[in-house]
Amino acid sequence: MAEITFSEITKVFDGNVTAVDRLDLHVAEGEFMVLVGPSGCGKTTALRMLAGLEEISSGTLSIGGRVVNNVLPKDRDVAMVFQNYALYPHMSVAQNMGFALKVRKEPKVEIERKVAEAAGILRLSEYLDRRPKALSGGQRQRVAMGRAIVRSPQAFLMDEPLSNLDAQLRVEMRLEIARIQRLLGVATVYVTHDQIEAMTMGDRVAVMRGGQLQQVAPPQQLYDFPANEFVAGFMGSPPMNLLRARAVIFENRPAVTLGSQRVVVPDRYTASHDLVRPDGDELVLGIRPEDIEIVEGDGGLSLETRVERCEALGSEILVHLSLAGASETVSSLAYDADVAVSRLPVLVARVGPQSRVTVGDTLRVRLNDERLHFFDARSGVSLRRETP
Amino acid sequence: MSITTPSVRARQLTLRHRRQLSGALFALPAVVLVTALIAVPIGQAVYYSFTQWNGLTSTWIGPSTWTQAFHNPNLWTALKNNAFLLLAVPFALGLPLLIALLLHQRVVGWRIFRSIYFLPTAISWVVLGLVAERFFAYEGTLNSIIHGLGLSRVTTNMLGYESTALSALGITFVFTMIGTNTMLFLTGLATLDPSLEEAARIDGAGPWRIFRYITLPHLSRFIQLAFVMTVIALFSALFSLIFVMTGGGPGYATTTVEFLIYQTGFAQGDFGTAALYGLVLFVLTAIVGIVQLRLIGSDDRA
Amino acid sequence: MTELETLERATPTERPSRSRLVRRGVLFAVMVGVALVMLYPFWVMTVNSLKSQNQFLAGRGFSWSSWRTLTSTIPIVQEVISSTIICAVSITLILAVGLPAGFAFAKLRFRASTAIFLAIVSAMMVPLQAILMPEFVNITRLGLTGGYTGAVLVYAALGTPFSVFLFATYFRGVPDELIEAGIVDGLGYFGALWRLVVPIAIPAIATVTVLQFIQIWDDLLVGLLFIQNTSERPITVGLAVLAAGRTTSIPALMAGSLVSALPAMAVYLIFQRYLVKGLTMGIDR
Repeated sequence: MAEITFSEITKVFDGNVTAVDRLDLHVAEGEFMVLVGPSGCGKTTALRMLAGLEEISSGTLSIGGRVVNNVLPKDRDVAMVFQNYALYPHMSVAQNMGFALKVRKEPKVEIERKVAEAAGILRLSEYLDRRPKALSGGQRQRVAMGRAIVRSPQAFLMDEPLSNLDAQLRVEMRLEIARIQRLLGVATVYVTHDQIEAMTMGDRVAVMRGGQLQQVAPPQQLYDFPANEFVAGFMGSPPMNLLRARAVIFENRPAVTLGSQRVVVPDRYTASHDLVRPDGDELVLGIRPEDIEIVEGDGGLSLETRVERCEALGSEILVHLSLAGASETVSSLAYDADVAVSRLPVLVARVGPQSRVTVGDTLRVRLNDERLHFFDARSGVSLRRETP
Repeated sequence: MSITTPSVRARQLTLRHRRQLSGALFALPAVVLVTALIAVPIGQAVYYSFTQWNGLTSTWIGPSTWTQAFHNPNLWTALKNNAFLLLAVPFALGLPLLIALLLHQRVVGWRIFRSIYFLPTAISWVVLGLVAERFFAYEGTLNSIIHGLGLSRVTTNMLGYESTALSALGITFVFTMIGTNTMLFLTGLATLDPSLEEAARIDGAGPWRIFRYITLPHLSRFIQLAFVMTVIALFSALFSLIFVMTGGGPGYATTTVEFLIYQTGFAQGDFGTAALYGLVLFVLTAIVGIVQLRLIGSDDRA
Repeated sequence: MTELETLERATPTERPSRSRLVRRGVLFAVMVGVALVMLYPFWVMTVNSLKSQNQFLAGRGFSWSSWRTLTSTIPIVQEVISSTIICAVSITLILAVGLPAGFAFAKLRFRASTAIFLAIVSAMMVPLQAILMPEFVNITRLGLTGGYTGAVLVYAALGTPFSVFLFATYFRGVPDELIEAGIVDGLGYFGALWRLVVPIAIPAIATVTVLQFIQIWDDLLVGLLFIQNTSERPITVGLAVLAAGRTTSIPALMAGSLVSALPAMAVYLIFQRYLVKGLTMGIDR
């Protein structure tokens, strides 16, 4: 009933700027869909088209099975939570929340009941008579949500609602929003640039970049099986290590060289990945920091490294390693400035807090052979043949 | 720009269209009012400036009205008077600047003083003119002071003599502008970041240096605005003062272009020439305005 | 001053309190002096109004007589009422026309809206005298001189450009999201204007009201020319005409002036903050 379908949705602004390029996305009833990506990727524009605040250049948009391209926002039965809350400053919390209902001329008793109910869910009952300026950031954000909830819409649209809150509050509110959404079971489209929010809140996450959808899948799937280099580097912090390597054949088996070191590709990958390529051809090897382990001696996929820097976080230590004999190993192909990428030939590894690693040490590290990722060096696309 | 889905035709107005329509409708009354009562009269003024017009009938004459007008000694007297009055502008800017600096020191009770200094602005210039008339008149206060100081020989009748009447007008004008300009400069000073001043003081700069290198540059935008507002007031807002204090006299000594318009049109019934003078005034004001825009515009770019 | 300077420089951390007090005292004295000068008009009006005509001519004396007979010497009550009505109607018109227009130019872009906005704002540059003659003739032809109508229209037209400019500047500072929230909640643009924009525009409304009130209440030229019926004259015109006549009792004139000055002063004192904001609006943008 309340599902949302973007079908080849495109938005072109004056001056031929394509903000959203043929977006195909389906949000099921009750699903929490997160749109994530760096600034300018088109996620907010997509949301605004869904709300009816931006015109659709081409494509079809439907809500609840009905095509809504030309339907005014107020007739789409969607509620929006804005980034800066957009609370009406001259009205009280209760009036803010009840405003949409008042505009629709619902009976006063009904309005009061619905407002009270929403206030209960959001724990705002004591603040109903206050004005927005007398509220804290977190409270204001909840009022903005209350305004959306009260309307019992077919869908919630949220535009980076947590970005103006301080870190602590953000963690709390993440849980709150997820809880409320589950409680109410309303289809939700949530826009953010924060991949942590995407990972923790979404039923499915749609990663966007430059107006184009990169991949849409449940969070863990995005994490474990990224469709391209961009998604791989975007999801997860610290980001996946992406190393420029060259394909070679070693003892009749596919292998990759990283500078002067060589790593043989485990058998399991030859079937699932398309690794056949001319000798010496470039590709990108990805390995996440937590999948790198410091070892004694040679075993498995190991590399000779040198410790360049250590960052002790309390719960763990991030060790920045340079590869022995490598000068240009790191890929920067698919990245834009928004995604952190190291330009020095370093790997980042996570080790336990007790580990006694010091700058200048030479270490042998082992890569978890079940957790490798391969990407095409030119297009950034994953070399995996099909996603499980 | 247009929806390309073939099967759906926009039967309703889109949000954007609604917005544009609302925008146009909301702006319409203002546009109508300003066009009818300001734009149209300007056009008419241009037309009638080429005619002999008494308000009821007009006879076209042509460009010679303009050449004639500029041969009229009264116009030149008026222009000279305007020019002379410009001498008041430095005072109308300098005094408020000093007063604003004074207030900015935040001596006890400065807020009350600020209200007091601005109070005369609320009073009609008609009233201020009446008071000034009392002050400068032969039996007036200025002379009482002069007598009191024992300088009886220097008694004046400033408003009675051509040579001094304009000065009296100018002094009164400065008085009227003190409130507004002080307020303007005070606001400007308030927006000045105090840490700049403190940093300078730590570096050893004395009050004069601080003023010259920190305060004054910051205030330049405000001074520009005050300059423009003052000059425009000088050209177009002195009517009440002149009417009440001197009636333009003695002779034409205190007739500015502004007053000349009134006189030519309503006292003499020569609407055409008055319209012409009106355009002259407009040009003068526009020049000042354009100069301001240029200055402030270039400021932004800098 | 230099002694103070050297003193302050010598002991940078510890200001000698005595010289500071002296400095403050001097400043205070100067400020009092300036205050006296600024209050001079009130002093003149008060002193001169508290004499009878004869006492005034004699130059000394104290009497309430001029005040007591004020209403018979000058039709003051009537004129004050006129001024009030003129101000009220003009300002209402200026707000009713300027606020929606300011909102439209700030938030509701339409074709050529920038050009039109610039045109209206540049109308601020036009001095009344430039359009005075045609204006007068037009209004007379429409039969609107005599009563308030003509003057009100002229005041409204003169005050609208500034009001539009001020409201537009003010509304530019209102986040778009606020209006959009209203749209999503179900309002049309007129509803948004009336229920969202107007309530938050109160400071701007106050600013326009104060500035225009002072302008209109204190104006002479328009009232003089466009209101021909003596019964509907505003107070400033009344005073000016009497002063020019030079047959009136000066004390009465002074008393009348005080009465005329009071409302504008009261409005100023009450709405001080808005006035300052209005004056500097053009700068901050």
